[in-house]
Amino acid sequence: MTSLRERLLAWGAVGAAAAGFAAFLTGWQLGGATVNIPWAPALDLRLDLALDGIGALYGLLATGIGAVVFAYGAAYLPWHLAHDGRPRTEAHRFWPWMVIFMGSMAGLACARDLILLFVFFDLTAVASYFLIGFDRNQREARGAALMALLVTGVSAVALLIAAVLLHAEYGTFSLPELFERANGGGTVTAAGLLIALAALAKSAQVPLHFWLPRAMAAPTPVSAYLHSAAMVAAGVLVLGRVHPLLAQSDLVLDVLLVVGFVSIAVGGVLALVQDELKQILAHSTISQYGYVVVMYGIGGAAGAGGAALYVVAHAIAKSALFMTAGAVTVATDETRLSRLGGLGRRMPVLAVASGVAAATLAALPLTLGFFKDELFFDAAIGAGPLVQVLAVGAAALTFAYIGRFWLGLFTGSAGAAPRRIDPLLVGPIVLLAATAVLGGLVVGPFAELAGDAATVTHAAAVDVAPAYHLDLRGANVMALAAWALGAAALALPRLRDPVAHAVARLGDRVGPRHWYGVALEGLNRLSGRMHDAEVRDLRTSIAAVLVPGGILFAIGFAATPTSGAYDVGKVLLADVPIIVVLALAALAALTTARDRGRLRPILALSVLGFALAAVYAMVGAPDVALVAVVVETVFSVVFIGVFSRLPMPPRDRPAESRWRRRRNVAAGVLAGAGAFATIWATLSRPTAAESVAAEHIKRAPEAHGGDVVTVILADFRGLDTLVEITVLAVAMVGVASLVRRGRPW
Amino acid sequence: MNDVIETVGPKLLGPALMVAAAIIVRGYGDVGDGFSAGVIVALAIALRYVTLGVEEAERGLPILRHAPAAVAGGLLVALASGFFGVALGDPPFTHQPGPGEHVVEIGMLELMTPVAFDVGVMLVVVGSLTLLVHHLGMLVGERRA
Repeated sequence: MTSLRERLLAWGAVGAAAAGFAAFLTGWQLGGATVNIPWAPALDLRLDLALDGIGALYGLLATGIGAVVFAYGAAYLPWHLAHDGRPRTEAHRFWPWMVIFMGSMAGLACARDLILLFVFFDLTAVASYFLIGFDRNQREARGAALMALLVTGVSAVALLIAAVLLHAEYGTFSLPELFERANGGGTVTAAGLLIALAALAKSAQVPLHFWLPRAMAAPTPVSAYLHSAAMVAAGVLVLGRVHPLLAQSDLVLDVLLVVGFVSIAVGGVLALVQDELKQILAHSTISQYGYVVVMYGIGGAAGAGGAALYVVAHAIAKSALFMTAGAVTVATDETRLSRLGGLGRRMPVLAVASGVAAATLAALPLTLGFFKDELFFDAAIGAGPLVQVLAVGAAALTFAYIGRFWLGLFTGSAGAAPRRIDPLLVGPIVLLAATAVLGGLVVGPFAELAGDAATVTHAAAVDVAPAYHLDLRGANVMALAAWALGAAALALPRLRDPVAHAVARLGDRVGPRHWYGVALEGLNRLSGRMHDAEVRDLRTSIAAVLVPGGILFAIGFAATPTSGAYDVGKVLLADVPIIVVLALAALAALTTARDRGRLRPILALSVLGFALAAVYAMVGAPDVALVAVVVETVFSVVFIGVFSRLPMPPRDRPAESRWRRRRNVAAGVLAGAGAFATIWATLSRPTAAESVAAEHIKRAPEAHGGDVVTVILADFRGLDTLVEITVLAVAMVGVASLVRRGRPW
Repeated sequence: MNDVIETVGPKLLGPALMVAAAIIVRGYGDVGDGFSAGVIVALAIALRYVTLGVEEAERGLPILRHAPAAVAGGLLVALASGFFGVALGDPPFTHQPGPGEHVVEIGMLELMTPVAFDVGVMLVVVGSLTLLVHHLGMLVGERRA
């Protein structure tokens, strides 16, 4: 019974995903919808969401695959937690993040505003951080989560920069408006490259692909969802959404083409040598999204349509394969291909279902996958012979590694023996496999969905019409060649393995993952050194504030004109009391600095504060004076309290080195001179006439107030005051939790 | 501890409360606001803690136990007096009575929402500082024990 809440949570997530799927499906069938609300008009920020082709396609993927994977997770997660010896309640840290991730993915699918796009983009990164790092007791998982967050989050900043660049040039963040206004040129190219950087990092494309294999530290449902259909799809989603901008620059398209092919090759070859099931699939994902990026690089109607259908077919197949890996691991406690085999006879349903998924990935007929490659080859035929040859090579590579995966698991000599597993771990895979076969028989609805999405990408109507043709057209010949080549690679491991292993070794030694580590370590060391320099002792902490402050003042003086800034002014008789009090303050300051005792410097400091309060009172600011007196009293009490607890320094303490003393004096003089000059310059120039203070003073009586400061605090800027007292209350909660382990009293 | 402080310290709370009340009541027409009033009361409470010690100070004045409630309540009072206008369709911190309207006075106390806001601020300040002194005092006590 204790697991009832966890079960409710899991099935609640499934229900939410299914409801979302139904909503997206109905919305798409009814012809879509748009929401366009300005939420910060001053900053030109709009809540611009559209359920158009792209919104429908990625929304349906996020919710549909989401529902299936969540159902799988409802069975997987309890096993996972029990396996690691963790309480069932840990599920409370899992499902909310899954649902948040799904929500931000659905929002991202529909966003048509660059800032909104960026916000959802980062929300998915944040949610993925917590999901990848779900096994937070494992160092590997924490590092993987951080790496995914850093790589995708830092490169997402490029998207923000691109948005600002485009806004500066064309005055809008709205994508439809940008498509109308943008007309090629340097800004669009630069923005296109930046957006591509963010999107390619998210879709785990070379050279920013290395986070994905490490993210396999996540529980399997997370991989089956995020790393097949959602997180990595977010990158190509953005490419598809902003494609009319990207298509204005041939350079951007060429970059996409090159990056895509390199990713296909690197991911595919590395997938051939991996031994861990999920690692094979992760490298396969890198390779598969390479196809999509290539098609966006080819562009045009064929590229846009092919990319859209490819994303759907791949998501269905890859999700099912990830879940297969998880189910096999649950049944056998084994994660490595070399220790598994011959499972086909013991787990026939799983074997058939995942066989269909593998066939979908390998683009065999009677599956949806066949059409994804047909469209891919069609797009390649339009792009020239080099792209055609590379496309055949890519498809052959896919055939080889996914063949190795499936054959290694389900055929050959028997490896670890499987136990009976929860049917819920197999059902979702069967469902996805059935969908893939359905798509292979009746491709119409899928083609329509892809066509609608491609219409947005291509900014013109696109008709996606894949079909079986029993003739020797280009796409069919290319498919046959790819299967033949792939089968050869599969059958000849002696030819295949040395090449693949060499590439893997090279990647380990000089690959981008190595440089990520170097960069991270370097940053860490730099930060550590700065921290040491700043907080070594009290003096360095103070100097860290005073010295940069003084330097900034000095720069300010060099930059501002000095005429009339340093006015000495006249001394009137009425000023004498102020001068006397100020002289007292100066004496107190000197005493504070020079006296070597304990109590006297504190008292001198208080004298200084009270003298300044007296000056306020004399120049006609009694309200400020009252606050100053109150604050000064508190400070004096606290100072005395703290100093009375400090141990006395030993009498024979060695004198400070001369160099250190000089350095302290220099820091003090620099900061003091800066402050002195600034105040002098400020007082010399009367404040600008249009100050808001004059308005405040004028309006205070209207607000029934006699004292301006009080009226400002309670009325004119009441919201600020409210926030400040909230901070005070929050600080108390902090004190209670730090000092007394959260006891309120 | 000095005899004078020990005798005078705990007795200062009464006068401090008087001064604070005066500041709040007169505050909107004259110098001072909820913050100053709060700090003055809190100083008197702190002095009580310093002279009597945590246990003695709280035994003699059990109301101090309600400091967390004062923080939460003060925050709510401030929130309510700042945002009640939102429910009527006004922007936040639209105080009543509005400019030029008549203000009801009971003696010196003016009945208007900014004064309520000031009371909220005072409650938060007094409650927070009392909590701070209490927690630090308890910490020292726990260390000794």
